[in-house]
Amino acid sequence: MTELTEPLFKKAVVELLYQLADDDFILAYRGSEWLGLAPHIEEDVAFSSINQDTMGHAAMYYGLLEQLGEGDMDTLSHARGISERKNAVLLELPNGSGHYLKEPRYDWAFTVVRHFYYSHAKKVKLESLKHSSYEPLAHAAVKISMELYYHLMHWTVWFNQLMNAGGEAKRKMLEAISRVEQDFLDVCSLGPLSAEMASLKLIDGDDALMQAFHENMKPVFDALFIPYKGEFQQHSGKGRYGEHTQELHQALATLTEVYRTDPAAAW
Amino acid sequence: MIRLETDEEKHINFMERIYAGEKIEADDWMPDEYRNVLIKLISMHGISEIMGALPEKEWVPKAPTLKRKLGIMAKVQDEMGHGQLLLRVTEDLIKPLGKTREDIMEDLFNGKLKFHNVFHMEAPTWGDAGLIGWLIDGAAIITQTNMLNASYGPYARALKRICAEEVFHAQHGEAIILALAEGTDEQKRMVQQAVERWWEPLLMFFGPGDAKAVGTSKQDITAKYRIRSKSNEELRQDFFTKYVPRILSIGLTIPDPSMHYDQEQEKWIYQQPDWEKFKEIVRNKGPKSQERLRLRKLSYENNEWVREALARPNDAR
Amino acid sequence: MNSKTAGFFQEYEVFSKRTAASPMQYQFSLLAPNEEMALILAQENFMRREPVADIWVMKQSAIKKMTPDERQSLPRLDNKDYRNTKGYGYLKKKWRKYEQEMLDEKEIFSWGGESKK
Repeated sequence: MTELTEPLFKKAVVELLYQLADDDFILAYRGSEWLGLAPHIEEDVAFSSINQDTMGHAAMYYGLLEQLGEGDMDTLSHARGISERKNAVLLELPNGSGHYLKEPRYDWAFTVVRHFYYSHAKKVKLESLKHSSYEPLAHAAVKISMELYYHLMHWTVWFNQLMNAGGEAKRKMLEAISRVEQDFLDVCSLGPLSAEMASLKLIDGDDALMQAFHENMKPVFDALFIPYKGEFQQHSGKGRYGEHTQELHQALATLTEVYRTDPAAAW
Repeated sequence: MIRLETDEEKHINFMERIYAGEKIEADDWMPDEYRNVLIKLISMHGISEIMGALPEKEWVPKAPTLKRKLGIMAKVQDEMGHGQLLLRVTEDLIKPLGKTREDIMEDLFNGKLKFHNVFHMEAPTWGDAGLIGWLIDGAAIITQTNMLNASYGPYARALKRICAEEVFHAQHGEAIILALAEGTDEQKRMVQQAVERWWEPLLMFFGPGDAKAVGTSKQDITAKYRIRSKSNEELRQDFFTKYVPRILSIGLTIPDPSMHYDQEQEKWIYQQPDWEKFKEIVRNKGPKSQERLRLRKLSYENNEWVREALARPNDAR
Repeated sequence: MNSKTAGFFQEYEVFSKRTAASPMQYQFSLLAPNEEMALILAQENFMRREPVADIWVMKQSAIKKMTPDERQSLPRLDNKDYRNTKGYGYLKKKWRKYEQEMLDEKEIFSWGGESKK
């Protein structure tokens, strides 16, 4: 733990924690917009648990940032501006067209694919983080992995069943896969300090993580008799560099609507 | 010698069973009147939970802190969960009539199945989110605990699960309200305004005191069949006793100057809500009725392809 | 009923164990298109706030339930002391004669933990 006194080490830890926290936070937020709108009631209930877990994971990462003097977790999650956000752009994209209160035409295929891919990427990172040189993060990774197991199982069932259903469902799923892959490079990226993160042994480098990801995904596609290309882009922006879409701007406006009325008040 | 029971004898046996405190199960013989009143009561209860998720759902993404976001997510999730439990109980009752969950949803969309008056109302501020948790759930706890011993076993068991979670809901609501009531002037104003908005809907929540107010009442039938024990008015009075002192204790004002406890009559005196308005609201003519029905219908139609896709391989199995 | 989607709503009964050592217990029922899906929905629908060590789901139609008539086959006369310890309580007195304690239920069940001492 002496490393924390080294400015570069701390800088890299903080950078990594922001990415991890913001990813889970914004995806849980998008998930929470689905509440009451899922394909059936039983799934609505199960999906909400996954969103709660995921926001809980974000809170753990924000908590680690709090310990590093970055500010309290509500400020970190609610008061940071759009260019300070480090989440991958894919995760801030809306669930479909419309607003969660008005004419939502949410896309279940996109949701299933985004969560399925994200859960796999999260697993790869967590496996690596379990050996992180920053011990508090290694501890958090062990705990979070425990809950991720269910998330992966849940999204795998949905992914496989909708792919196997054929017809319109399969067409929608394939469409969602290409949409998700268009921006998936951003999810796998560790941003401007990725080389430092790897050399400081905070987490494996981008390439190693990506390779592990492909190794996990390929068998899933093989079993479905679908070619796995594994060619990802970052079409909508580089979230790790603070580049975001108008969609995040709107999401932040909504999620801070009450908070902003009085950030100093106790809620 | 074996002789088939006549319906009249079955009815007598049935009434003896419920008066002896026995529980009726889904596959047991039951009078049509009993089945019908249960279907009406439980489907309305269930669909109200589902529709009730919508006004609060508005505040899920907007909740002001991480803890509040998590808390209200869990709370609205429970509402959906209660809907799940109650619809399952209803589905087993309508099964012999050849009906399913899809028919329940259809009935909601075509206006045959009503939902609780409170869920037709607007929830324009975070204060409303807190107030729904505190007082609407408080009122719901009072009506639901009154049926924990219902003669219909599956309903009583679902209610037991539901009431256990309602305890969390009540405390979740109290936590939001107390934070606001102890907060800034603006926060205090937020709660007071929410109380003013919700007072009349809260009175209406328990239903009219007698059949005269709205024309019909299933109160008598539910009492006869040992589904519920107390009348609408008794429940409303219980609510006043439990909640009026608490509302006042945190510095809030009840928007009814005539409200007081009459020692001699041993009951709360209050201004009756407008029961004509109540009738209109539950006929889906409340301020948010159409918008919320639209939301529910849209999500139902929008995901139809999912249900269709997964229905197929299963049929072949 | 929509004939295209009706198959999605299959009834499953859910059972779970609280700990590895506990017996399976009935929880509730849910609707799902198949057993795999029923299994991933079960915990979050019925056991969100309690520990779970194992879950079973079962198609409702696979369960043979008793009719009310069949349930009448369940009661028994209370004349079967010979199958219960109640019918052998007199042994206590007998053993006393030999200056021995009776090995009752409480005593016998206490043996399981003896090796720990």
